[in-house]
Amino acid sequence: MEEYAREPCPWRIVDDCGGAFTMGAIGGGIFQAVKGFRNSPAGLNHRLRGSLTAVRTRAPQLGGSFAVWGGLFSTIDCGLVKIRGKEDPWNSITSGAMTGAILAARNGPVAMMGSAAMGGILLALIEGAGILLTRFASSQFPTGPKFAEEPTPMPTPSFGDYRQYQ
Amino acid sequence: MPVAVGPYGQTQPNCFDRVKMGFMMGFAVGMAAGAMFGTFSCLRVGMRGRELMGGVGKTMMQSGGTFGTFMAIGMGIRC
Repeated sequence: MEEYAREPCPWRIVDDCGGAFTMGAIGGGIFQAVKGFRNSPAGLNHRLRGSLTAVRTRAPQLGGSFAVWGGLFSTIDCGLVKIRGKEDPWNSITSGAMTGAILAARNGPVAMMGSAAMGGILLALIEGAGILLTRFASSQFPTGPKFAEEPTPMPTPSFGDYRQYQ
Repeated sequence: MPVAVGPYGQTQPNCFDRVKMGFMMGFAVGMAAGAMFGTFSCLRVGMRGRELMGGVGKTMMQSGGTFGTFMAIGMGIRC
């Protein structure tokens, strides 16, 4: 869904990098809080302290690796858009595979192949889900004028400010 | 919270709906990915038959939950 309303190309890299960092940091915070809580010795004080330590050490790391992935991914994506001159799901799938390959480059060609396949399959799944979702959503919520049969007129024409609520 | 009403009726889903949708989408993607990668990794450690089903199911649920959480966060920070 957000695949078709994204930033224009050079700025998309910054946007994706920051978004991925935030996503990884928040998600890593949640998961590491639970993990640190469970891995600590008994006693609430110990558990809370272990949880805090785990979040503090691990969440920024996870955010950083998410940010590297996102930044490299959208760099390659933008490059492919520029080279091929069009913007379709194959760009995302290819750049996912290439990102996986590049980030595993120091582990040898076998690891590169495995990581590239994983990245490509994941991005293909995500793109497919996005396409299915937009198709489903556009068939479920028709964008016709829905309140044509409602008798109450709009009190104020809210053209200017309806976007500030989202 | 006032409902965002555009000129064509209510077409903008609100924030919680987007987060829920992101979670469902991430859960589906994670289940599919977990089915693939979980099958490979469970076959590699030598599970067969009934045990294999259980292992693949566990991997599917785990990766679905992880993916769904991350997708929901990703939707949540953009609205």
